[in-house]
Amino acid sequence: MSERIIPTAIPIPAAIVRSSSAAWFYLNQGLNAVPGGHHVLNYIEKSSHDDPYRTAIEAGLILYGIYYYLSKPQRKRGLQANRPNLTEREKDALIDEWEPEPLVVPPVNDHETAERYWRLAKIPVVENGGIATYIDFTRNNRQESFEHVLNLASNNFLTLSQTEEVLDVARDTINNYGVGACGPAGFYGNQDVHYNCEYMLSDFFGTDACCLYGQDFAVASSVVPAFTKRGDVIVADDKVSLAVQNALQLARCTVYYFQHNNMESLDELLQQLNEQEKKEKLPAIPRKFIVTEGLFHNSGDIAPLPELVDLKNKYKYRLFVDETMSLGVLGATGRGLPEHFGLERASSIDITVGSMATAFGSSGGFVLGDKYMSNYQHIGSNAYCFSASLPGYTTTVVSKCLQIMDADNSQVKHLQELSRKMFYFFTSRVKLNEYFTLTSSEFSPVLHLELKEAVRAKRFGYTRDTLFAELHKLQGRKVSDVCIDPYEAEEMFLQQLVDDVLVSHNVLISRHTIVLKQETLPIVPSLRISCTAGMTEEELLGACENIATTLVQRCESA
Amino acid sequence: MPEDELRVPMCRAEPMDARTKRENEYGTALDDTGLYQVSTMDAQMADRKPIIDAPPYYIVTLTYINYLILIILGHIHDFFGMRFQKRRHRDIVEFDGYAPWYSKFESFYVRRLKTRIDECFSRPTTGVPGRFITCVDRVSHNYNEWYSYPGTTTTCLNLSSYNYLGFAESEGACTSAALETVNKYGVNAGGPRSQIGTTELQVRTERMVADFVGKEDALVVSMGYSTNANFFNAFLDSRCLVISDELNHTSIRTGVRLSGAAVRTFKHGDMDLLEKLIREQIVLGQPKTNRPWKKILICVEGLYSMEGTLANLPRLVELKKKYKCYLFVDEAHSIGAMGPTGRGVCEVFGVDPKDIDILMGTFTKSFGAAGGYIACDKWIIDRLRLDMTTPNYSEPTPPPVLAQICASLQTIIGEINPGEGTERLQRIAFNSRYLRLGLQRLGFIVYGNADSPVIPMLLYCPSKMPAFSKMMLQRKIAVVVVAYPATPLIESRVRFCMSSSLTKEDIDYLLRHVSEVGDKLFLKLNSGKSSYDNSVQRWDIEEVIRRTPEDCKDNKYFIN
Repeated sequence: MSERIIPTAIPIPAAIVRSSSAAWFYLNQGLNAVPGGHHVLNYIEKSSHDDPYRTAIEAGLILYGIYYYLSKPQRKRGLQANRPNLTEREKDALIDEWEPEPLVVPPVNDHETAERYWRLAKIPVVENGGIATYIDFTRNNRQESFEHVLNLASNNFLTLSQTEEVLDVARDTINNYGVGACGPAGFYGNQDVHYNCEYMLSDFFGTDACCLYGQDFAVASSVVPAFTKRGDVIVADDKVSLAVQNALQLARCTVYYFQHNNMESLDELLQQLNEQEKKEKLPAIPRKFIVTEGLFHNSGDIAPLPELVDLKNKYKYRLFVDETMSLGVLGATGRGLPEHFGLERASSIDITVGSMATAFGSSGGFVLGDKYMSNYQHIGSNAYCFSASLPGYTTTVVSKCLQIMDADNSQVKHLQELSRKMFYFFTSRVKLNEYFTLTSSEFSPVLHLELKEAVRAKRFGYTRDTLFAELHKLQGRKVSDVCIDPYEAEEMFLQQLVDDVLVSHNVLISRHTIVLKQETLPIVPSLRISCTAGMTEEELLGACENIATTLVQRCESA
Repeated sequence: MPEDELRVPMCRAEPMDARTKRENEYGTALDDTGLYQVSTMDAQMADRKPIIDAPPYYIVTLTYINYLILIILGHIHDFFGMRFQKRRHRDIVEFDGYAPWYSKFESFYVRRLKTRIDECFSRPTTGVPGRFITCVDRVSHNYNEWYSYPGTTTTCLNLSSYNYLGFAESEGACTSAALETVNKYGVNAGGPRSQIGTTELQVRTERMVADFVGKEDALVVSMGYSTNANFFNAFLDSRCLVISDELNHTSIRTGVRLSGAAVRTFKHGDMDLLEKLIREQIVLGQPKTNRPWKKILICVEGLYSMEGTLANLPRLVELKKKYKCYLFVDEAHSIGAMGPTGRGVCEVFGVDPKDIDILMGTFTKSFGAAGGYIACDKWIIDRLRLDMTTPNYSEPTPPPVLAQICASLQTIIGEINPGEGTERLQRIAFNSRYLRLGLQRLGFIVYGNADSPVIPMLLYCPSKMPAFSKMMLQRKIAVVVVAYPATPLIESRVRFCMSSSLTKEDIDYLLRHVSEVGDKLFLKLNSGKSSYDNSVQRWDIEEVIRRTPEDCKDNKYFIN
């Protein structure tokens, strides 16, 4: 039989012939015992008759399959394949030798601690809540205390949630629902008040649906990854805030950046990407997003929505806008960026991320969009489905605020009036503009004052680009203690300005607090002055006068 | 269908007298039977590995067949649907040059499997999620594609909320405290912690939390998920290693992924494998370069919410000390609800909290509030305040929530209404034990530790999930069913979340109905492998109710 299987024309060592015929004999026997086994035998006989090597390859494949199945896949995975051959003694020695870094960078000595942690000492601990127009607070472990300070640091722009009308709603809800919702949305955590808040929000902003989240900062970084996977494309503004940067980090897709609010740069980039995509001939269209912000968190300027909408329609992208700072602020009735430019939200922006903790004065965040997108978040968005629902009262507060805004836009108008006044006040100060650049738009209630590049270069010896290069280098090296001295010096200088304003005029403004080591885009320190609708024009302008004078004085003397 | 019936209506509860309201939120115990004082676990108990009961093979096979049928039907549905019902499948087909929001493949499970049982999830509720929960009725149409709401409600016994200590209340010390802060601080904090959002109340809460968990300092964040998700990037980078239990919560995974740290996982609760892994990783070091890791962080949860199991803290502390790793324990479910005085898993095992580097927890569960905390040594917290994103960018915890946290914490430690906190702790301990042992004796397969307030009961077949959930709802009991991906594919389960607000009588009622439904759905599959005497348990319900309340106070029935 063996002669028939292995043609004699090919010289094969006798041992192999013998062993394979033995194997064939037992296989024959075995398969004959199994019902239907003769089909297999027939196949093997025929194929090996035509091409014995094919049989060999097939047998090899089967053997490899078995080997692969039995081998432990986990051991093969990963990049640690080059495992050294060590004895137990050597391993023990290595383990014994290993000294980890401390959990976080430790303070070296008391003096250094004070220097490094000056930021902590400068955090105001407010006694009557940070949303009041006049606040009392202490700093540095009660060592400094201030009373009746005008609050120009609050993000509660409309101050609607401070009115008795809204507080009554909050109290009423707590009286009927308690505080916590005690469960995630999927498991009995969403109450009728949550649903109705979602309806109110989507109706107010003119979208199909809305989805509530527990915290504004966590929204973007949960929504973007829910709708992107490898191969998808995101084109993002290069000045987006950290919340969006985190989202881009977590999305597994390819991210490109266009120059801040520069539509030519965006057009060019999209054109390029489109051509590239055509060349690649993908089996399916990837999901493509343009990611930007309404009012930029880091600079206070506005994204040019009409141009963005044109481009997104032209190149078939979806538009993601983080409107954390702009909802309730922009537009005649506070309906945000689209209203500001006279557009419809539903037809212009595909995903809107908003915060209930800024203008609406409650807490939590939300996403507005069409119903498919909203529904998918209920199962696909981690921060939604793996986290507890908001306390009930936060949602009724927002509902009530929306109701008030719908009926009467005077607060919004007042806020915009104040913002404009504040903006023009600062732009008109020639002296101040020698030292500071105003990056915000006139519609932004938050005014960002950055030192002029030339001033910064002269005084602190760095620019936006060199700072970013330095930061990028440190991040690349995975340095645990990211500390860039000139940057620290400027931050301290700005804090000094804040303190001067505070001490001499009893007005609280703030640094734009950032965590440098987390930032992945170019950024520089800035001062932040925010007005709220709770102030009168005189109060605000009086304070602005004082701020401007102090800043100029300080800059000139230093 | 009128438009407004498609939306969840506001269902304000009818006014009722104070006593009924109180009883609905927190039941009064008739006598002392329903109390049990937990004591610290001895070392021998602590190191015992739980024996997991397994169902008979035919149940496993049936479960797989069940899924197979669902998957095949789903694909047939998709095949025809995408050809003949394009409009209804707008969400998964390309449209006008745009890619669909999600691909057909990645959404298959959600569209074709989960939609079928959607009726069990996201039930709207109203009022306080206390002893009873008021569910808003809804009518499902077209296989859960949409719902209509007739505007009526059903009040159910609440086994679904994470209201462990019963602090979800609309009156009492916590609620008054919350209301007071609304008057004093308003409902919003104004901005990030580092700018304006830090209040006296916030500082006080952090102090109290730190003292409660036994650490030097604590940091409070406004959302539990975000506490974890934005935590690890403050001190880990790609040259650090995270060794993570395979069942860790998504928030931990997200946080670690954001930090870029390398991750290795170990089998749930297997300390020997963990030790092997640590040794191997210290020897191997970083991939490619083989340089030693900068630091190694072991991440575990105190109480696993899907399994009801505890992390083996004594062993973890021993390993962490031996190999100089750091230990992170997420006490989201255990803080407040477990341990002799509610101080979480450390207290359960008698481990000194100082031996654990990072203690994390949430206020959503036991405290009836919202948000989370991180507790460490002071020098670590100081640094974290500077480096973490949440205190610098996100909204802080709103004042009423802080007040709720403070008041509930003070109740637990006995500063407010002395004795009330102890009673709450003793009641949840008894309730958990009673229900757990009761279910086991009836013949169900139950997972987890004796004192865990989460009691997962196995259902296996996916079709039994909606059946169980609906049958319980008919019997006015609200339960949570969980399936893949939160659990392994075949281990669909129902998760009873225990609460101090339930009385012994409530649990009797629950046991009777679960027993009845269990017979109908063929759920009593216990093989006796995990019971104390290794015998198959199929007790009569009357016998269970008569004997278990006393028996459940004896540890021996929980040892296998």
